Amino acid sequence: MQALRVEHLKKSYHLKVGTEVHAVKGVSFDVEPGEIFGLLGPNGAGKTTIISTITTLEKPTSGDVKVFGESVVTNSAWTKKQIGIVAQEIVTQGFFNLEEILTFHSGYYGIWNNKERIKFLLHKLGLYDHRHKLVKQLSGGMKRRLMIAKALVHNPRLLLLDEPTAGVDIELRNSLWSFVRELKAQGISILLTTHYLQEAEELCDRVGIIHKGELQYVGETRGIIHQLTKRLVEITFNEGDWSRLKTSPYYQHAKDQSYYFSIPYDLHVGALLTGLQINVSQIRDLKTREGSLEDAFLSVLNKKHHNKEVQA
Amino acid sequence: MIQSLVPFAMLLRREIARFCKVLMQTVITPLVSSCLYLLVFGVSLGSKVTTQHGVDYLAFLIPGLVMMGLMNNAFQNASSSIVNSKYTGELEDMRVVPLTNQEIIWAISFASVVRGAVVGLITYLVGAAFYYHQYDRFLGVAHPLELIFFVIVGGLVFGKLGLATAFWAKSFDQLSIVGAFVLLPLTYLGGVFISIDSLGPFWKSLSQLNPLFYFINGIRHAILGVSDVDPWTAILVSVVGLIAFYIIANIAMIKGNFHRW
Repeated sequence: MQALRVEHLKKSYHLKVGTEVHAVKGVSFDVEPGEIFGLLGPNGAGKTTIISTITTLEKPTSGDVKVFGESVVTNSAWTKKQIGIVAQEIVTQGFFNLEEILTFHSGYYGIWNNKERIKFLLHKLGLYDHRHKLVKQLSGGMKRRLMIAKALVHNPRLLLLDEPTAGVDIELRNSLWSFVRELKAQGISILLTTHYLQEAEELCDRVGIIHKGELQYVGETRGIIHQLTKRLVEITFNEGDWSRLKTSPYYQHAKDQSYYFSIPYDLHVGALLTGLQINVSQIRDLKTREGSLEDAFLSVLNKKHHNKEVQA
Repeated sequence: MIQSLVPFAMLLRREIARFCKVLMQTVITPLVSSCLYLLVFGVSLGSKVTTQHGVDYLAFLIPGLVMMGLMNNAFQNASSSIVNSKYTGELEDMRVVPLTNQEIIWAISFASVVRGAVVGLITYLVGAAFYYHQYDRFLGVAHPLELIFFVIVGGLVFGKLGLATAFWAKSFDQLSIVGAFVLLPLTYLGGVFISIDSLGPFWKSLSQLNPLFYFINGIRHAILGVSDVDPWTAILVSVVGLIAFYIIANIAMIKGNFHRW
């Protein structure tokens, strides 16, 4: 059974009489148990609307969302207990300190005494020494960690991370990434929305790329990169005239004695050299660069592929 | 504790803890204004006012101030909690956790009862001290069960009104409209300071249409044993008020949105 199943989800808003905005247009995807699934897209693509629908903050216009087989529309009391959410915007809670906030939050999930778990999370996220502080007394990174502690206070099976590293420094980002990997190792399923593509590439088993409310692509992260990008091969020659190489279908451009080729992932570099009749002794240097998720992402947005499942 | 009651009990605990964090604003300020009312109207002017229903004016005034403090604070507790939560984003939190609409409505309403009861009790004790100082007699409670009934039902009704108003309001201005243009005039015209027997027939009939009149006179009957209205009528109106505002609070929860301002 999938940790999360989004089925033909549509969400529209009526702004004024006769004006309707379609924020999500029939999106479908699954998150498998223990998987990190990245939902990628530019600002306004519909990522947060999908998260809001999963958490019942928004009602779907049509379609459904199922969490471990139960609909968030018809059985939200149960599905909410399975979900932990790290919202994009910080919740400031002016009156209470960290310990109180986590105690109240535990109670909302039916846990009256949750001291051990709260203590563990405060230690784990480096907040224990700040447990008597108000939220406004915390740094931006600490506030973000508090949001994560809140999301985990009831041991959720599915974690929704909506832009969790927006505006955080590199050190904190790296520590959050390693914490997310730990959570995955514990069997927690994770839906991550981000527009930091490096983050998705580092963390996600699979990604979905959404643009203007439509899911353009779903597949394994490596698979998408291999499917939609090419490997760049840079060959620098010792000397001589190599202009004949410009007729190769893989040729990109040349600079001085360096020639650049763009090749599919199933073509080995050795095969390229053989095909181009290049002897290894004629090569001074050879470099290759793998395509990135960013290249794939831009390729999807430009080419407008339609919900094509990639087989890795 | 029964597992299913934990979310409700924790939200109630949080709401009570919230107003306890700002006691100066939530309890001390109403206490100061009650003391001023007692001093100016009860002690200074009271001696020049004829007795109402056979009781001294100061005694007549005290239950009215108790109910006024209770209603205002119950309303403010619920409305300010929701509006603050809209600003901080806590209201979104409240929607994504497994709290039901009923748990939210009743927890916030009962917290309003607690704050209203604390302010009402303090007002009563201060009033009783003024009364003792003025007349050398202690002001007792004629019908304690009736008092408890009106404190709880009054707190619940105005807590639900505060909740519904806060969900409806799109700004602090809109919130203050209900407080300043609805609640305040109805409180002052509801018999806090005067008996409607002293009004002309038109104003007397109009006052009887004011729902707050029944709460104020209900608690007056509970404390003094006398009032402008039959206590059973006051009880009936307050129960109808409770049902009506329960329905309104439910509609507000269903129709209102939980997004942050």
